[in-house]
Formats: sequence, C-alpha cells, structure tokens
Amino acid sequence: MNEAPPAEPGGRRGYDLQIRHLKDRGVQLGQFAFAMFRDGWRAFDQGDLAAAQSVLDRGDELDRLDEDMEHATIAFMVLRQPTAVDLRTAAALLKITTHCDRIGRLGFDMARITSAGPGNEPSDLRALLQRMDEVVESMVRQSLDALDRDQVELAQSLFKRDDLVDQMHRQANRMIIANLESTPSLAPRLANDLLVARHFERIADNACKVGEKTIYALTGQRRSEYLPRHPTRPYVLETPRPEPSETSGPVGRSRSSGPRAP
Amino acid sequence: MAISSAPVKMDIQHLTALYGSNRAVQDVSIAVPEKEVTAIIGPSGCGKSTLIRCLNRLHETAPRTRVEGVVLLDGEDIYSIDPTWVRRRVGMVFQKPNPFATMSIFNNVSAPLRFNGRPSREELDQAVLRALKGAALWEEVRDRLDSPATSLSGGQQQRLCIARALAANPEVLLMDEPCSALDPIATARIEDLIAQLKQDYTVIIVTHNMQQAARVSDNTAFLYLGKLVEYGPTEELFERPKEKLTESYITGRFG
Repeated sequence: MNEAPPAEPGGRRGYDLQIRHLKDRGVQLGQFAFAMFRDGWRAFDQGDLAAAQSVLDRGDELDRLDEDMEHATIAFMVLRQPTAVDLRTAAALLKITTHCDRIGRLGFDMARITSAGPGNEPSDLRALLQRMDEVVESMVRQSLDALDRDQVELAQSLFKRDDLVDQMHRQANRMIIANLESTPSLAPRLANDLLVARHFERIADNACKVGEKTIYALTGQRRSEYLPRHPTRPYVLETPRPEPSETSGPVGRSRSSGPRAP
Repeated sequence: MAISSAPVKMDIQHLTALYGSNRAVQDVSIAVPEKEVTAIIGPSGCGKSTLIRCLNRLHETAPRTRVEGVVLLDGEDIYSIDPTWVRRRVGMVFQKPNPFATMSIFNNVSAPLRFNGRPSREELDQAVLRALKGAALWEEVRDRLDSPATSLSGGQQQRLCIARALAANPEVLLMDEPCSALDPIATARIEDLIAQLKQDYTVIIVTHNMQQAARVSDNTAFLYLGKLVEYGPTEELFERPKEKLTESYITGRFG
C-alpha cells in the first residue's frame, strides 16, 4: 500500500483510472482499519497482549493512509474538477476516509484496554459481545464491499442491522449494570466491557456512514431522502428490572448520530 | 419550466429557430428568473448561440431564418413589438470584444445613447460614468476617456463592450461566450463583474466552459442537438443531474 500509484495515461482514460484508483485506495484504507478493529477486539477478548501491541503499532500507518487518501482526493478535485457522479464519488471518499479512520481508531482503543488473560465477565455477557462483534464485522466488510463494487442495495441493507447492534448495545449495558451491582469485584473488566460495547455501536454507525456515502456517490441521494431520522431521546441507563425484555425495556435510544431504519 | 422563487423575467415557450429548413433550436422552453444568472451549456453546434440570439431578435437579421414559439419579456411577447425597443431592453455582449475601432472610449460607451436620441453632454457624462462603473472599468480609464478604444487590453475591451451594453440601461444582458478570447485574469474580472451585474440585471450567458457556468450562474440549461435536455439550479445540475445525457456531457463521457 505504500508504493506510489501506477502511472496513469492522460485524457479521458486516465481520468477514469484515477477515479478507480482513488476508490481502490479508499477500500484499502477501509480494509486496513477493519483489520485493526478485528484484531483489537480479538486481542481484548482473548487477553492477548502481543496481539494488542501489534494493533497499537499500526496507529501511525493508519494516520498516514488517512492523510494520503485525503491528499490524493483533494488533488483529484483540484486538477480534474470533477462533476456529477465523479464529484460525488470524490466528496464521498473524503468522508468515507474519515469514517474508516474512526473504525481503525476504535479497534486501536480496544487493543489499548486489553489486559492479560481471558476476561472474567459472566459467560452470557461475553457471548453477547462476541455476537456483537460478528454482526459489526460483517457490517464493516459489507460496507467496503458495497463501496468497492458499487452496490447500492448492499449498502442499504446495513441500516437494519445497525438497529440490531443498537439493541444489543442496550442489552449489553443492562447486563453490565446488573453485574456491577451483583458482583462489584468484576468492576474493572465490566468497565472495559462497557467501553467495548460502545465501540461496537460506534463502529456499526461508521459502517453505515460508509454505506450512506456510497449510496450518495452512486445515486446522488442523501440519507434524509430515503431514510427519515428517528426523534432522538435522552440516553437513560436505568437499573435493570428482573429478566429484562429487549422489546419492553425502559432504556431510551442511543444518542448516536448513525443511520436508523424507519 | 420554473426553477427559482424569483419572478420570471424572460419566459421562453416552445421556441424553435430555423435556418432555412434546419431547426437549430427545437421546442425549447426556459423560464429565466429575474436578477439571476442563467447559463446555457452544450457542445458546439447545439444551438446555444442561436437560442440567445432569438432573445433579442438578432436571429431574424440573418437571411432565411425563422422563429416559432413565444418569448415573453415581463409577460410581453418580444416578437409582437418593435425589435429596436427589444434590443434596448435586452443588451448583448459577444464572444470577441468588438469596440467601435475608430471611436474613443467615451464615444464607444455613449454610442447607444447617441443612436437613440440627442442627449445633452451632461446626460452623456452621467450615463458613461454609470456604465463604466457598472462594468468595473471606470478606475482604469477615467484619465483617458478620449483614448482610442483599441488602446485597451482584450479584457478591458470586453468590459468596455459590457459598459456599452449597460449604457442603454437594459433589463436583460445576453453574453455569448464573453470570456472565450480572454486570459484567466481577464476572465476572472469578467466573472466577478457578472456576480455584481446580477444585482441589477438578469444575465443569460452562453459558455463552453462548464466550470465557468458552475462558478457564475444560478441556473443552468443543457442543450443538445437543439433540444433542451435539462434545466435546473446550477448546483443541482452539476452535482446530481437528472438526465443521463447531462451527466455524460458534464463528466466528459460523451459519445
């Protein structure tokens, strides 16, 4: 990824290749960030300090890729003065770069709170976090796939699963609070679990943003034109009642700015 | 087709312009908003210049030409009134600066007034001052109004032609590729001037330069083979055009 881009022919063909090359670089940045998130979570889950360190060591490279991508996109806009779908693609890539960078940073943050050995949280909580990881990993992969292959429907299908992640996030919060009350000695791990659950929720939001920007690049449609925003309510964390039910829980919606299904 | 909340200054309805039997413009309808800049873009030979020449009845001055349809100026059909009166209300600036070569700067600007009557010297002075200021040329020529117009640079000559058009106190200003013969600095000055002009005038500009259309206009019409393909707010048309043909043209993937 570090090598200079291949020489491109001039004229119309060069222009098309430049756009394709920009998109490829965006996808590469996304894959790099995805790997940081995936490895950061695994390091945390398994308590693998060496794996965590390898994620932390990638922080500078993520910064460099982010900066390079921004530079290349701005240069393309200045030198080629794109319009219509090309302009939208370049503008979308600038935003996508930021969202991918955040995904990588959240993986970095998971690696940073890794402690040696497996976590001592209850198995049902750990299983829920693992399930969140599965859903969020597939969302990030899918968002990059939609960008790479110009797939509007694939990008659209992300939004429903973001709601699922939000639900899981709320469920994780309730379980963590219940466990903090019942087993205070688990507090250090549970505090980190709380952060990790929040990171998953943010990563899912960023994956949706990548999808949103892909849809904008391909169709010109902005999110508000196909997905009305829900009213936002305050985020209230309440002590769980016995056997909390996901559908009847009193917990408010997340304040997240991520896309939501109608 | 109305696209702005501003009142319609010039309403072009089903306009067709012919050279003999050749239809250079076919059934074009555009509502031009008042005190906004409307750009007309399209490939060479698509009828852009013919279209704006119909808006001050210049088209009919060429042999074997004909116009069908209606052009309303403030609701009045320009083809039912005196063409001289139309041209006084609808000024025009051409591709190449065309000052009257034998006249001074002052006489170039005051020419339309002298052609249209016998104004006093004071009236002429006032009109020339206003027109030269309006064309952002006053500061550069105030000390040499008696110099030949041809002593000015190309960009200054084009602004002189704009001043000459403004001297007749028009309501609409037609500009047919006004910067195509100018360097980037002179072009930038004309573009700045267009932004000022729209405070007082309705401007319709034909340009080959899409970036220029994007920079200076509020609304853009895309013509192809004499037909209107798309007309809309400039930002919208350049960011997310509705028609595939427009997108192909503005992204350079034409043909």
